[in-house]
Amino acid sequence: MMEKLTVDAEGKIVIPPEVIQKRGLHPGDELTLVESAEGLLVYQGGVDEKTLAWWNRLDDRQRLLAEDYALRDENLSEHEQDASWNQEAESIEIEAESDELDLPTN
Amino acid sequence: MYERRVRLALAKPPTVLQVEAANSYAHIATIANHLYITEQTANILKRRTEIFAAPILADTRALKKARYLRRWARRLTDFAFSSEDAIVLAYGSFGLDVESKTVGVDAIITTDIRLAEHYERRHGEIKHRFDDMIVNLPETYAVLRLPQVLTTAAILAMV
Repeated sequence: MMEKLTVDAEGKIVIPPEVIQKRGLHPGDELTLVESAEGLLVYQGGVDEKTLAWWNRLDDRQRLLAEDYALRDENLSEHEQDASWNQEAESIEIEAESDELDLPTN
Repeated sequence: MYERRVRLALAKPPTVLQVEAANSYAHIATIANHLYITEQTANILKRRTEIFAAPILADTRALKKARYLRRWARRLTDFAFSSEDAIVLAYGSFGLDVESKTVGVDAIITTDIRLAEHYERRHGEIKHRFDDMIVNLPETYAVLRLPQVLTTAAILAMV
């Protein structure tokens, strides 16, 4: 669900009552405003089901391990992170076509 | 999704794109028969930290490239798609699931709004070019279709 909110003259936004009810928000609850290059995110701190299921499967030792690995990942430079995701880029040239498979006939 | 998990492990709030990607992935997982990734993504995830990457690899199947995938990708670059975008779009039609012996996907989900808009805008011409190519391929290729290209924001609007 996505809602369009309007900023008023004082910089305030109003969250629609149905969203307040659905998310179980109460006066005084804290929300995080995440600002990044892509935009702004009003973030309640919830986690999607898949990510939460993954996290809940980890025991304490694995969570500590995950934190260590995450710190290592976060400490990679932007260049190293880009290089990591851009490695093994797939060519579209004719010369690269030898790994293409015929469709099954049945 | 990978980076979303990294942020969770650090108890840091995610970025907008991480939330869009993770939440739309969670939603799609409840309605799709199968979730697919490209071979490139699978190879990258296999090299990344296992604790974050392994569950994503377990949830998804890596598509193989059927014959003529790259030929179609090259034609897509004529519509001003980058070669990186073109090959992902080509997987949508020529990506082969060797397990189920099926080819192509219903939809490609992307955080790239401009890619989705450009695909939608040129869809008529792309479809015409696609049909022209398919009609000249062996009969087994007659089942191939163009995928939809949907943004993660559009997926979340459906929830």
